[in-house]
Amino acid sequence: MIDRDAVVIERVFSAPVEMVWSMWTDPSHFKEWYGPDGMSIPVAEMDVRPGGARRICMEMNTPDGPMRMWFTGEYRQVSENARLVYTEAMSDEAGNVSEPPSGGHAVTEVQVELQSVEGGTRVVMTHVGIPSDSPGAAGWNMAFDKLAKRLAS
Amino acid sequence: MPATIEDEQLDVTFAALANSTRRAILARLAEGAATVNELAIPFNLQLPAISKHIKVLEQAGLVVRGQSAQFRPCALDPAPLEAVSAWASQYRQIWESRFDQLDDYLVLLQQRKQGENKS
Repeated sequence: MIDRDAVVIERVFSAPVEMVWSMWTDPSHFKEWYGPDGMSIPVAEMDVRPGGARRICMEMNTPDGPMRMWFTGEYRQVSENARLVYTEAMSDEAGNVSEPPSGGHAVTEVQVELQSVEGGTRVVMTHVGIPSDSPGAAGWNMAFDKLAKRLAS
Repeated sequence: MPATIEDEQLDVTFAALANSTRRAILARLAEGAATVNELAIPFNLQLPAISKHIKVLEQAGLVVRGQSAQFRPCALDPAPLEAVSAWASQYRQIWESRFDQLDDYLVLLQQRKQGENKS
């Protein structure tokens, strides 16, 4: 039931852990795979260190011309070949986060864990709707999981 | 994906859920409706504090108040939680597609590397 509050994806890639790490941290590699279907990544700026900024542009070709979306964020945890945590928010080109009119938070957090395993590298990616330093975020998974179970019963 | 009304509603829902007291209130209400007085007891909170939390949950559409003038019991409305679930499944698809592409790209890179070693 964990997928109700966060996206968790686990996969084993047949490549060494250093190589998989560079897929997330080297813009030239990142651009090659990150775009979802039909999207390209014309800009990927990554200052991969705690507190460092990241800025990503996704571009989609539409009948009305290319549509560009900008995402900005900050690296929270950088542990080479092991763990990467960063925030992500929709923004304008200058990196100003688009404030929802409601005043709510538009920031999400991506956690990537790498582990060397037989035959390659296990990647566990967790994308949560709120950054882990938000007030009350601790215990979020557990509490929500329990709540979801109660609702389902 | 430009911000939509749905996105805005999700932000409000997430903001409301980003508080352990409010999640506990929801867990309590999942077991049945309760008045503000009844809710205040297990949380060791003063009425104004609990009222404030309930107001946030109400604005997020997670709690509805009864019309009975004197007690106005609180009840859980699970609809926004279902939207949260949709948020997750939407992102799941995007990430699955990305991981497929990552897989393909890693295979390609390693093939190139092997080719270079041979030549």
